[in-house]
Amino acid sequence: MNQEIDQQESAAPRLTLFVTGDAPRSRRARVNLKAALQTVGFDPADLLVIDLVEQPEQSIKRSIFATPALMLMRGDGSIDATYGDLSDEEKLLDFLSPLAH
Amino acid sequence: MSATEWRLNKRPTGIPGLDELTHGGLPANEATLLLGDTGTGKTVLALQILAHAVAAGDGGIFVSFEESPDQLKRNADSFDWGKALVDSEGWASIDARSMIGAEFAGAFDIDGLLSMIEAQAQTLEAPWIILDGIDQLLQHQPQPQLAVEQIRRLNERCESNRWTLLLTGKRDSSERLTPHNLEGVEFMLPTMVLLSARVIDGGLGRFMRIAKYRGSSHVTDEVPMVMTDHGVTLPSVYRPQSERPFEADERRVSSGIESLDQVLDGGPHRGSSMLISGRPGTAKTTLAAAFAEAAADRGERTLIVSFDELEGPFVRNLKSVGIDLGPLIDKGVVRFLELSATSGVNIESLLAIAEELEDFDPSLLMIDPVSALMRKGNSVGSGPAVGWLLHRTRASGVTTLMTSLSNEIDPEGEATVDKVSTIADTWIALDYNVRGGERNRSLSVVKSRGTAHSNQQRELLLTSEGLELVDIFEYGTEVLMGTARMQKQSEEHFKVRRTNIEAQRRRQDLERRIEQAHSEVERLNAELELQAQEDKQTLQLEQQFMQRVRQQRTHMGSSDDSGSQTT
Repeated sequence: MNQEIDQQESAAPRLTLFVTGDAPRSRRARVNLKAALQTVGFDPADLLVIDLVEQPEQSIKRSIFATPALMLMRGDGSIDATYGDLSDEEKLLDFLSPLAH
Repeated sequence: MSATEWRLNKRPTGIPGLDELTHGGLPANEATLLLGDTGTGKTVLALQILAHAVAAGDGGIFVSFEESPDQLKRNADSFDWGKALVDSEGWASIDARSMIGAEFAGAFDIDGLLSMIEAQAQTLEAPWIILDGIDQLLQHQPQPQLAVEQIRRLNERCESNRWTLLLTGKRDSSERLTPHNLEGVEFMLPTMVLLSARVIDGGLGRFMRIAKYRGSSHVTDEVPMVMTDHGVTLPSVYRPQSERPFEADERRVSSGIESLDQVLDGGPHRGSSMLISGRPGTAKTTLAAAFAEAAADRGERTLIVSFDELEGPFVRNLKSVGIDLGPLIDKGVVRFLELSATSGVNIESLLAIAEELEDFDPSLLMIDPVSALMRKGNSVGSGPAVGWLLHRTRASGVTTLMTSLSNEIDPEGEATVDKVSTIADTWIALDYNVRGGERNRSLSVVKSRGTAHSNQQRELLLTSEGLELVDIFEYGTEVLMGTARMQKQSEEHFKVRRTNIEAQRRRQDLERRIEQAHSEVERLNAELELQAQEDKQTLQLEQQFMQRVRQQRTHMGSSDDSGSQTT
């Protein structure tokens, strides 16, 4: 999974969603994100979803203390993150604006 | 479930005073919330608890939401327990600073954090888990109840994972118990500790209060908290373990001044406290130092705490009145502790003394003057501060001497005397008596518990050989001193001599008269004897005469017979 992220780092902006199992907020985040990605025109297939219950080492590696967490890796390697169930649509769209065509 | 499982187990924190305050420590396998303003010592307290745990072989995880791991280490390293903590591999830190300024778009879980801690804590047996600055994370929850709910879940994890959890967070300086973003958390967690800081007369006073401790008795008062090189201490509640149960000691501590010991029935009791009060220049320090020197001469360790003077001048000044502490200090029998009397919060001074008491373990403690511990702005409160100190010294059998200024123009001194004199076992008041152009020092024992003592003033003489108490000179209802005493003494002396001579003269006179009477008796006896002799001779002569007469009469009697016959 790591490798996947690393491989794609140099390419176009990458989006990763960190969730914890099937927790209600994680589920809500997936739904909210899916809707927003449609709005900005980002292919949901390009979204990487990492479950921290399965891979707890990822939470340390990425310093993720709150879930769900959405990370945006830009082409220049800089990372933006936003946390929460992504129910604040305005904030979410603002966060995703670099992906918009 | 066995009886021991559901019972509240407490874990000692190793913070001097906190385990006394909580009657044993913080709850094991539960969460404790530590709230306080910025700069109240939350992080240091948490680090110190961790250091204590690590030193005892327990493990821990420190999740820092505000400081980097290097900052944490530097912070710890400024305390004497810090190096051991920094060098130890018994704990791990997690850098959670990424939450500062993070963007949040809705409610969140902290499962990521929990799984991270679980992964790290796997190898640790019943670890301490510290989440330092948890408010940095939880303040982003859109509703406070979500944050509180997460804290409740944390608490549940503690029980199942056997974690002892310490959460620290900022508290806004409002009147409310908890910050608005953690509103209601006080109902959720079993234990809450509050830290606060106030500037008192220019000094920073820190305080701690146990706001809540479910299922346990605890001290509910706000107590002062002090931070030194040794870390955090709560001096007013801390009871060192070495403390022995108090036993009344019958032994006396000699002052080294025979005449003073006599007044005090041999000296104050060992382990008792003595207040020496007086106006400036009444030789308070000198008198106390005499005790100190005497104790040190006997080989007893003596701690001199001076707020007024530096060691050099202190020793020099005493040398001029025959008290030489220099060699005793060199030998290590006397230790000198210079403290600043101008510091705003005197709890630090109190603590410095307490530390020396533990480190040096003296038999005698001299505080010159004790009023310095009682200045306004003392966060402990002046009465309790000295009471606490005396409790410590009394319990460990340390005899305590305190000097205090008493002066109309110094209300502080008066107040000190007021307060300390009620606590102290013995109170010696020094004064001057001005009379006939002289100022003479006087000493009187105002009270002395458990000791027969004179209620009269004595004259206190400072000579180059040391102190001396001169026996009071009573003249009618007065006690005379100095020249007046000497004058009166010589007057009295002459008077006594005159009386003596008079009496002798009268005795001699009587003796002479007895002598005279004796010789008269002798003379009369002789006369009597003479008379008797004379009487005897007279009788003999008379008898001889009568015999002669009778003889003659017999002779004539024969003729008489015929004669009568014839007639």
